[in-house]
Amino acid sequence: MSSGAPAANDDASQAADRVLALDNVPLDLPIAGAGTRSLAAFIDYFVLGLIMAVCAITAIVVGGYLNLKSFWWAAALVFALFLLEYGFFAGCEIAMAGQTLGKRLVGLRVVSAHGSRPSRAALLIRNAVRLVDLLIGVPLMAFDRNARRIGDRLAGTLVIRTRRAASAIVRRVPRGWTPPQIAVLESFLQRRDELQPEKAEQIARSLLAAITRDDPEFLPADDTFSDPVERLVSGVSRGDAARP
Amino acid sequence: MSYARFVRQRGGVWDEFESLLAESRAESLSHASLERLAFLYRQVLHDHAALRHRFARTAAAERVSQLALEGTQALRLEPDDHLVGPGRFFTRSFPRAFRAHAAHLGVASGLFVTAALLAFCMTVLRPGIGLALLPPGAVQGLKEGRLWTETVFSVMPPALTSSSIATNNMAVALTAWAGGVLLGLGALHIVLLNGFLLGALLGATWHYALAGELLEFVSAHGPLEITLIIVSAAAGLGMGEALVAARDRPRREALVAAARSALVLLVGCLPWFVVLGFVESFVSPSPDVAAPLKLALGLALEALFLALAWNPSLNEAP
Repeated sequence: MSSGAPAANDDASQAADRVLALDNVPLDLPIAGAGTRSLAAFIDYFVLGLIMAVCAITAIVVGGYLNLKSFWWAAALVFALFLLEYGFFAGCEIAMAGQTLGKRLVGLRVVSAHGSRPSRAALLIRNAVRLVDLLIGVPLMAFDRNARRIGDRLAGTLVIRTRRAASAIVRRVPRGWTPPQIAVLESFLQRRDELQPEKAEQIARSLLAAITRDDPEFLPADDTFSDPVERLVSGVSRGDAARP
Repeated sequence: MSYARFVRQRGGVWDEFESLLAESRAESLSHASLERLAFLYRQVLHDHAALRHRFARTAAAERVSQLALEGTQALRLEPDDHLVGPGRFFTRSFPRAFRAHAAHLGVASGLFVTAALLAFCMTVLRPGIGLALLPPGAVQGLKEGRLWTETVFSVMPPALTSSSIATNNMAVALTAWAGGVLLGLGALHIVLLNGFLLGALLGATWHYALAGELLEFVSAHGPLEITLIIVSAAAGLGMGEALVAARDRPRREALVAAARSALVLLVGCLPWFVVLGFVESFVSPSPDVAAPLKLALGLALEALFLALAWNPSLNEAP
């Protein structure tokens, strides 16, 4: 059940639709934008083109090698290419729980408007109108808050981003720190390896200074780390069950 | 409760739920594990609600939100997600959809016949209209007293033409169906175009006294082929109507319901195109099959399709 209101904390780049799950708990669906969806579709069409070319070449080579006089193999090839053209996307999404090869690579998944796995009928419908969506799907997605193309509207589906589960959950928090401050600390710990070393050290020093200012007892006085990033990591992951 | 204590106390539940989800994706869940997954799902949802309210945007909130979403995908089943077998589909689901679209079928048939009659009359009065639709070679053939179909079927092997014809007709049916989402205009285009083409070609062959030969050629496959195009277009018109006049339902709901019913209609038509591909390639051009036999086959196929589509044994009001 979609309320139609965007999540309060979501900014424009993090569009989300909100549905109500069990016990009316609101669940935010991270809607994928037109750009990422187009990239996934481009990959899929490239793969589809490759598969069709391989099928056609294989059939012609094998037919020639076996010196087949009958044309039934060619008839079967025409039929197989038709099935691939019209059934590739629906087949992939049904077999791969709402994903195609492109969607899996880009990190997208088709879900129902309730956030659940869509029915097979819905997946068939959203792909049966791909022909029309190739003409007007992208502008429709660009102007829709939930980036739905015609197929999504017909089938009652949405395409969401499959976010990577956050792994840097801190188990110790400086006294008095608010959720936004915790989020900054966790975000840094999550991404520290992707940053330039100098930049990472600079941010770690700022965080250490804030921690020392707010909770002087949080970091051990006797640690020997020269690297501020390592000192920070050690401080937040130190076993301290007695602290609140 | 502080963030750290919440994470310490609930982290074990999230880890267990995540491992059960992984088992669920691998389809290796036992019944007991499934029950446990459902039990934990409720807890994860409540943790998600608490984190979202008190510790928004933290890593724990993000992780539990993701777990709640994946749990919903794993455990919640859409109510209509059950496939019926071919027998039940063709004796129950397809006839129900066919009857539900009776009005659209009437409109599509009326438009087809109107377009065909209009094109026929126009071509009889001005033969250039019908001849403009044919390639120069075909027009030359008509002048020499033979149909263009003779050339086509003498050049291509029947096996290949049957497959090409079947896939081409299925593509037309899919276009008519999908065109329904453009306010029904795509479906209208297909039904009017095909009606106009048939009428114009009949008119052109009438002009050269070859209409009898053309009718003999299409008699085996034509009746059902026209019916299938009309049925596919009627399915598209159903979606178009839901978009234009959703009545007392939200347009989104009306469109989704119309698309599902229309899909049943389309899927029910597709196998018949394969049958017609064979008939059009092997029977229609064959000089060995007598004209009455071709007509009998065409009428028999049409009657069989309509009997299955209407299914008189289905005890439901149309």
